Order: sequence, then C-alpha cells, then structure tokens
Amino acid sequence: MLPGAGRPGGSPPPFDPLDSPVRSVTVKPVSLNGARVRLDLTILIPHLGFLAEGALLTAEVCALALVGSVLLGMLVAIARTSSNKWIGRLAFAYVDLFRNVPFIVQLFFFYYGLPEIGIYIDAFTTGVVALSISGGAYASDAIRAGILAIDNGILEAAEVSGLSKRVTFTRIVLPIALRTSVRPLGSVLINMILTSSILSTITLNELTGQAKIVASDTFRPFEVYVVLLVVYAALTYLVSIGISLLHRRLNRDLVEQVS
Amino acid sequence: MIKVENVKKAFGPVTVLDGVNLVVNPGEVVSILGSSGSGKSTLIRCINGLEKLNAGRITVDDFDVSKPKDLAEARKRSGTVFQLFNLYPHMTALQNITLAPVEVLKRPRAEAEAEGRALLASVGLGDRADAYSSQLSGGQRQRVGICRALAMKPRYLLLDEVTSALDPEMTAEVLDILAKLAAGGTTMVFVTHEIEFARQISSRIVFLEKGKLLVDLPTAEFFAETGGLAQPRVAQFLSKMRKD
Amino acid sequence: MRYAEFTPFDLVLLAQGLGVTVGLFLATTLIGLFLGALWGVIRFYRTPVLTQFITFVAEILKNSPVLVQLFLVFFGFPAFFKLNMTPVNAAVITLSLNTAAFVYVIAVSSIESIGRDQVEAARVFGLTRWQVLRHVIAPQALAFSIGPLTALLVNQLQVTSLISVIGVMDLAKIGANLNLRTLQPFIVWTVVGVLYYLAAKLVATLGARLEKRLRAHSAFRGL
Ligand SMILES: Nc1ncnc2c1ncn2[C@@H]1O[C@H](COP(=O)(O)OP(=O)(O)OP(=O)(O)O)[C@@H](O)[C@H]1O
Ligand SMILES: [Mg+2]
Repeated sequence: MLPGAGRPGGSPPPFDPLDSPVRSVTVKPVSLNGARVRLDLTILIPHLGFLAEGALLTAEVCALALVGSVLLGMLVAIARTSSNKWIGRLAFAYVDLFRNVPFIVQLFFFYYGLPEIGIYIDAFTTGVVALSISGGAYASDAIRAGILAIDNGILEAAEVSGLSKRVTFTRIVLPIALRTSVRPLGSVLINMILTSSILSTITLNELTGQAKIVASDTFRPFEVYVVLLVVYAALTYLVSIGISLLHRRLNRDLVEQVS
Repeated sequence: MIKVENVKKAFGPVTVLDGVNLVVNPGEVVSILGSSGSGKSTLIRCINGLEKLNAGRITVDDFDVSKPKDLAEARKRSGTVFQLFNLYPHMTALQNITLAPVEVLKRPRAEAEAEGRALLASVGLGDRADAYSSQLSGGQRQRVGICRALAMKPRYLLLDEVTSALDPEMTAEVLDILAKLAAGGTTMVFVTHEIEFARQISSRIVFLEKGKLLVDLPTAEFFAETGGLAQPRVAQFLSKMRKD
Repeated sequence: MRYAEFTPFDLVLLAQGLGVTVGLFLATTLIGLFLGALWGVIRFYRTPVLTQFITFVAEILKNSPVLVQLFLVFFGFPAFFKLNMTPVNAAVITLSLNTAAFVYVIAVSSIESIGRDQVEAARVFGLTRWQVLRHVIAPQALAFSIGPLTALLVNQLQVTSLISVIGVMDLAKIGANLNLRTLQPFIVWTVVGVLYYLAAKLVATLGARLEKRLRAHSAFRGL
C-alpha cells in the first residue's frame, strides 16, 4: 500500500487566527464603478503557515500519485503493446474511459463507492488512488509513445545478443522510454497538481482546502483566491522548469545519433 | 560451422534470397560481396535469426536457427556488428559491453567489467569506458560495437557493412581492428563494399546477385581472370566498385 | 428518510442535469472561442501592453485549477466588487475565460505555424493586414487548429463538472444529490460517468468529422 495511508486527511490542524500577530496594514485603493474597494494582501500574512501546510499536503499527494501513475502507466503501456489482443483492448478501454470521464466523477465513485464494498480508506489515500488511476491513463500514453519511438536496431542488437524479452524490456526499453518521456510525464504531473485541488471536495485539506478555510475565516475570499491562483501558476511554472532541467540532465547522453 | 542450406526468403512478393547455400568453417573469413539490394543484409539477418526463413535451413554449430529452442544457443555462438552501431544510448561503452555477458551468460559483474575494459583497451578505447554513445565518434562507436559482440566470446562474428557509415579515417580505425581479429583467427562473415580490404583479410569471397550465390571461391581465385572475374557480373561489379 | 429507492423521475433529473451541462458547455465554448480568437487577433496586430496583459492572464488561467478560478469568481467577486453572482453566472464567466485562454494559445500557435514568408508575400501583393488575416491566415489556421481544439473541448466538457461544486445543477450535481438520497454510489456514478463519456465521445466524433470536412474543402493541403 502507498505510504501515507492512514494519515488523518480530513481534520485540519488546530489553528486560531486570533493567535497570530496582526501586521501593519497597507491599503491600496482600487476604484471600480465608483465604489472604493481595497485589495489588501497583507491580511493573508497570518495564514501563510496554514496555507503552507496545505501546499505540503498537495505536494505529498502529487508525489505519491506521480509514482502511482508512472507505475500504472508502465503496466498499461506494456499491456497495450502486448501481443494478446484482449489485454491490449482492456488496456485501451482503461485509458479511453479514464480520459473521458470527469475526474470529480471518478473521485466520487471511489470516495463514496469503496466504503460500500467494505474498503474504508481516508480522503488522503482515496485522493492518491484516484489521481494515480486517472494520471496513469495519461502517463501510459506518454510512456507508450516513448516505447514506440525506440530505434528498432537497438532492439535487434539486444535480441541477437540473446537478452530475454524481460531483460530487454527492463534494462533497455523502459529506461529509454522513461527518459524520452520526461516532458510528457512532466505535463501529467502539472495536470495532477491542478487536478489535486478537486480533492478539497472530499474533505482533504490540501492547498485549496486550506485556502477555503482561510477565505471563510477572514471573509476575504477575493484576496485568498487571487493569491491562490498565482501560487498555483508559480508552482506549476517551477515544476516545468524542474522538468526541463531533468530532461536535459537525463538526456544529455541521449542526443540524437548523428552518423 | 555455419551452414546455410538452400535458403529462401521473400518479403511479400519480392524474393530476396533464392536458394542460397553457404558453409563457413571455423577459422575462415568469408566476405560477401554484391550490389545493393542483392540480399546480403538479409542473409546475415537470417543467420542471426532476425528474419524467419521461407524455406531451407541454417545451422550454427548444428543449432537450427529456425527452432526456438536452438536459437538461443545459435545466438550465443555468433555475434553481430551492425552498420549503424545500434549501441544502447542510455548506457556507457562499458555497460553496453557487459550487459549481455552478465544477463545472458551469468558472468560475475566484476569479471565481465574487467574483460570489457580489456576489450576496450585492445581497440584503443581504454580511456572511454564511461563515455556514452553520443560522446563518441562514429569510429569509436563501431569499435565499441565490435567489443560488445566479442564480449560474448562468439565463435563467429557477423559483420554487415560495419564501416559504410564512417568517413575514411574512421573506416581505417575499424578495419585495422578487423584485420587484427582476422589474423588472430576469429571466424568472420563479412558483408562489405571495401573490396581491397576484403581481398586482404578474406580466405573466401562469395558473390551474391539477386538472391543467388553466383560465385563462392577462395580469395585468390575470386580475383583471378580465370576464376571469379570470368563471370561477367563479377567483373562488372568489381570494375564499378574500383572506380568509385 | 435516510434511504430511498431510485424512481423513474430520477431519469428526468439526470436528463435535466445533462441538459444543463451540455447547455453551459455549448454557451461557454462559443464565448470562449470568440474571446480566444479575438485575443489571438489582438496579438496578431501586435497591440502593445494589451498583448502582454492577455498573455499573462491566459498563462494564469491555463496554469491554475479551474476550481480555484470558480471560487474566485463565485465567492471572491461578490465580496470584493460588491455585486451579485449566481452560480450559473459564475460558471459561465469562469468556463468561458478558461476556454478562451486555451483557445488563445491554440490560435497563436496555429497562426505561427503558417510562417512569416506567406504573410510577407501576401503583404507584398498589397493586401492589408486584415485581408491577410481573413484570406490567408484564418482558413489555414482553422484547418490546423481543429485537432487541438477538439482535444481541448473534450477536456473542457469534463471541466464543466466542477461547477457542481458551487451549486450549479449540472449532471455531476444531480449525481451528487442522487448519491446522497439513494446511497447507491456505484450505480449513480457509473451512470453519470457513462453519460459524460458518451458526451465526450460525441464531441470527439464531431470534431474529427469537421476536421475531415475542412481538410477536404480547404484549399490548403500542406498538412
Ligand atoms: N523488411 C523488409 N521488407 C521488405 N523488403 C525488404 C525488407 N528488408 C529488405 N527488403 C528488400 O530485400 C532486398 C534485399 O535487401 P538487403 O538489405 O538484404 O540488400 P543488401 O544486399 O544488404 O543491400 P545494400 O548493399 O544496399 O545493403 C531489397 O530489395 C530490399 O528492398
Ligand atoms: Mg545491406
């Protein structure tokens, strides 16, 4: 089972906004329709720690789900290249289904459905499972493309040297496919980060869930959600930079062969 | 002994090998000549089991490459060097070389690595063991390719135009090594367009034309006016190749 | 009553929910296509400041969760601008802008795919920038972008399900209500999922057909 299972995903840590020191307030007046309104982001300062906890939970969920979806994606990619017709079809059906049904429907299916059949897992685990399964459908496409892009000559070299199918797959095909699909897998991760906000609907207080609490505590939903948008955009931007770096690092030895 | 008996191979309507017979004895260097599209590569690919035969039989030391059970044994006995190197791009030169010995022959890793380094040193790449394919020149890549095949200690080395993707200088590097191997008694089946080189190292030369083995003669006879050159197609081919 | 069987009326509810989903999807798609294309044109005319502003907004919209965008519009706007906001209004605003952001990106890349030389050649012939856009760029860009647009719309159809969170009575919300009432999550979410799936397939099929038609009729065959 995934690590982190059993952690109390539902209850937010105790937090008392009155506890926090009130900072000096700078006021930036904005005029709109004659009414004077103020965009004052300093009201968020006392809640930054609380929001950071949410961000950390988002990171944990996404990290676990990334591992889950890459593993699942590998299995499904293998299944889709399988010579067995039915295994291939089943794998395709999975990808097709989970790419064409809204994530929130998938999530509720698991969250409300699993207890019905006697599986009681908390919101955190449900979230990781749902994100892994949905992300796996996308990851499998990326990995499959990576597998199909491998030069046939390389596979023939492996074959004539007597390597078994399994060794060829684990030592040659997968490592090459994973490296070349770093970018598309990165897109899967970025999508996952954005999608993980939906986990707030099953009481998981990740970044969006925490922000909801802050918004209702402060009565400043505008400020909270504006900042949240920027935070998510910045987060995904950082992740995409990281992915580019990783891609370059992993593939520096994989530059197209020129001959 | 590699024995090719009456082998036929067709791709759809195109017959590529049309009843080929060939025997390669241990210690021989057999060069395969022939114009483009005559079926040289296909013959090599039939011997190492990359293509299925339509008819006939190929055995490597009596292991029939058409029988799945025998194929593994047959493949242990032959090593292939490819025109486009086909190195594993995510592995270093040394890893390329040791993968099969460790995984297939179950050699201890340390031993395989020591031998791999020795092989690399013997082809002048002792200091490039940790380089990736993309960090090597074409000639260096092909030398690694040769080491990778040799690491399996094959009885027969199959080489398909291993220098045709290389410029003259790199070609010389690689041919140098092949000449040493030939002198050392390595059995080779050698597809090439390097006529002069074939003449130097081969014990026998066969000429393939439209899927048929037209000529199969010891090297000296192949180049004699009364031998191979008596065949108009061979004379034509050789004069054309020499002009190029 | 804590537990209740399914009734035939539930089918009507589901149909209504599907209607709301499809209706909002169509409305926001049209607005989004229009806005996104408009933004693309603004960029094509290299309008300073406005272009940078649009690009920035599009980036934020593309790279943040739609759910948070919905919260901002539904909870944030009324609080900040002191205006009234119904769930449906919030849904229309958010989904339209979100779709527009992605349409904008597709428009930009398909305009760029056409190549400066063609544009310059047309300009040399004395066509105005608008004529170039209308006769040279638009037809090709359209043919080029149908594929990505179809993929986008299949995705945006699914994104509509998030408006259930702010209380719009769409298919997902009907599903949630039925789920609460019947306590039959597997049946409810399977049915809802299948309906979404079929709708998505319909969009994909229509997109593919349109693409085929456009390719066949378009003078541009270079793809
Ligand atoms: N996989 C294949 N499918 C269809 N036809 C093939 C295939 N492989 C080879 N052929 C055809 O078989 C014929 C012989 O090809 P082969 O590669 O064996 O020639 P070759 O003698 O090695 O030529 P070259 O000197 O150009 O390498 C050619 O006409 C080629 O087009
Ligand atoms: Mg060839």
